[in-house]
Amino acid sequence: MKFEPTRRQVLIGGASLATVVAFGGSHPAFAASDRTRIIVRVEKDLSNLDPANRSGPIDLNVIWSVQQGLISFKPGSTEWELDAAEELTQVSDTEIAFRLRPGLKFTDGYGDLTAEDVKFSFERFLKPDAEGKPVTYAKDWSELDRVEVTGPLEGRIVLKNPSPALFTIALADGSGRIISKKAFEALGKDIATKLIGSGPYVLKEWKPREQFVLAINPDYKGAIKPHFQEIVGKPIGEQKTAEIAFRSGEIDFTAIDPESGKALAELPDASVTQVPAIDYIWFGPNIEKAPFDDIRVRQALRYAVDVDAILQGAYSGIYPRANALLAPGLLGYWKDAPVHERNLDEARRLLEEAGHGGGFKTKLTIEATARYEAIAQIIQANLAEVGIEIEIEALESAAYWALGENDASKDLELSLIKYNGKFDPGFQTQWFTSEQVGQWNWQRWKNPDFDALHAKGAVTTDKAEREKIYVEAQKLLDESAAFIWITHNLNAFASRKWLKPGVLPNGNNWLYTAFSEATA
Amino acid sequence: MRFILDIARSPGGTFALVAVALVCLAALAAPLVAPHAPNAIAPVDRLLGPSLEHLFGTDHLGRDLLSRLVYGSRVALGIAFSVISISLTAGVALGVTAALSPRAVDLLIVGLFDVVTSFPSIVLALALVAVFGPGLGNVVLMVSIVFIPHFGRVARAQTLALRNSTFIEAEVVLGAERWRIILHHVIPNIIGPIFVLACMDIPVVITIEAGLSFLGLGVRPPLASWGNLLNDGYTYLDQSIWPALSSGLALMVATLGFSLLGETLRDTLDPKLRKAL
Repeated sequence: MKFEPTRRQVLIGGASLATVVAFGGSHPAFAASDRTRIIVRVEKDLSNLDPANRSGPIDLNVIWSVQQGLISFKPGSTEWELDAAEELTQVSDTEIAFRLRPGLKFTDGYGDLTAEDVKFSFERFLKPDAEGKPVTYAKDWSELDRVEVTGPLEGRIVLKNPSPALFTIALADGSGRIISKKAFEALGKDIATKLIGSGPYVLKEWKPREQFVLAINPDYKGAIKPHFQEIVGKPIGEQKTAEIAFRSGEIDFTAIDPESGKALAELPDASVTQVPAIDYIWFGPNIEKAPFDDIRVRQALRYAVDVDAILQGAYSGIYPRANALLAPGLLGYWKDAPVHERNLDEARRLLEEAGHGGGFKTKLTIEATARYEAIAQIIQANLAEVGIEIEIEALESAAYWALGENDASKDLELSLIKYNGKFDPGFQTQWFTSEQVGQWNWQRWKNPDFDALHAKGAVTTDKAEREKIYVEAQKLLDESAAFIWITHNLNAFASRKWLKPGVLPNGNNWLYTAFSEATA
Repeated sequence: MRFILDIARSPGGTFALVAVALVCLAALAAPLVAPHAPNAIAPVDRLLGPSLEHLFGTDHLGRDLLSRLVYGSRVALGIAFSVISISLTAGVALGVTAALSPRAVDLLIVGLFDVVTSFPSIVLALALVAVFGPGLGNVVLMVSIVFIPHFGRVARAQTLALRNSTFIEAEVVLGAERWRIILHHVIPNIIGPIFVLACMDIPVVITIEAGLSFLGLGVRPPLASWGNLLNDGYTYLDQSIWPALSSGLALMVATLGFSLLGETLRDTLDPKLRKAL
């Protein structure tokens, strides 16, 4: 039998085919089969791609995939592995020798990666920029004396003092990225928007507020083997919008509210992972302001605030409680830190003793987000029970973080603060030193013993000794009763079932080069 | 009584009376009506659905939603009546003054009204509260400023119409003092339409307050406001629909009730429409 389609059958067939192409192609099930490209959601757009002046993890994650360092973090670990360096040797406490892999090339025709580029990349942290200001991350290399070039691919990093934190804070991190000296000189200010590197990916496209595209660097000669041909980053600010985009199949990977994890995990093609973070969220007074200059009032605050209720009410009861500055897993984690339980009688007794038995009025400053508003309201209700009346001042993000400038924090009374953590404990302790008063030590707590411990920890190379130093430092924070720790945070991510994300243990930093297909 | 029966004659009027009575009763008798303390937190009971213990469920901090809605009605009506009282008094005073003053003063006052009304109410209220800061007092003051021209224009127009009436001229000829004419003859004759306007503006003020509180520029926590409750409900919508649903419902009932009451009042007070009724 011979099949001769009629004109109507041809039209129906054509229309059906067009419908499948038009709608089927955008359906998650079809999109999922395109395994050479993934779409990830980022919380905000790229901002500054100069590693010395990067604005945060969103920039850094892209910089990491495009620029090499002598060493880089191992996927999912705080340990490091060799990257551009073929060999790295700690010659002494203050000297590190390196030898680069041969044949590494910068993109866009900027030539070979040499020891001169390493010297230029690291030493620029010691010099002021074109406007005479130090680069944003100058502190990361504060112990650097110089980089000596001993051959085209060889050199030595010479430090002023021993710096055990250097490997995690600078070398493996953003401040250890090697940039092309030629590109820097040619691009000038454009170094903040044009990313030249020698790493596994190139920044193929960046349409501000729309998307960026990372594509495989065909000239890459290193040891890291990225899985996906292209990684597309889409900035979506709102967490809920991102979750809707994930549900609709528009994106393959996103950070989510841990509270949404259960619902998203029920989707047929989704997988949800949780990573305990190393951030630190706490609440405390400005101890230069009366009545908080009296330790009894601070102790009363600590007795009056119900941290478990905060975790239940503002964090759905799924975030772990923090009892000290350093999170579990970090060097210096204080396992036996006291868990301060609520005791209203004791709080009232201390207030009475301090002459504030009738209570007092004060102000709590927070960043205006739903979660922090919830925390503030619980604190407000808790303290009302001992007669302390709180007015909540919720500041927009920019106004809130501007408190770190021009000594603006001096007028604070109570504040709720969240700082991001890094893998070296010295990064966390630095914000509580006396020299940070007027900048990021918003509580204006000063303790010479703490300052000395922080300084000692920064130059002590013995791991066990460092561990003891940071535990001692945290004991001083605890004795001051100025810090009511709430949580170290919890990161949660939703991804397609076939996708294995490359997230570092702090949850904020992702290695795009480590994103791969999940094995069954 | 006859007046109330006239309003209740239409279905809209009946609904309006019931809704307004309900909201006013909740506001006046809040401590007696609310089953729980409105600010008592219980994080373990967060985002519960309706039950005998919590008829409307609980919010994200475990507070009883019904109790917060009841106390929220106090804030809504308190702000609405305060704003209407302030702006009505100031508006009528300015409107009458403009109508009975020399042309230059009239132009100045009308010019001020034009400046204020050239901005949409909610935008102007937002801008003023953003500049002067959130809080109950500021919200009342700023929203009052926005509403002064509403009453001022009507008062001016009504007074202009009355100014050349024979009974006013007679009072002037008899040597009555200006304030006496205003208090005894002008205001009693213009106040009817102004009361209708006030009634119709109450839901607008409630909505503006809720909008400001929703944006975090209105009433500050822990005070319960329908706008705050709606904002919290929106934030936790994926975990529980009850906070958003109940606060939205309260807003809807109150605004619909007062709007319908205003309309019915207008129809009842208008002799032509009254005849038709």
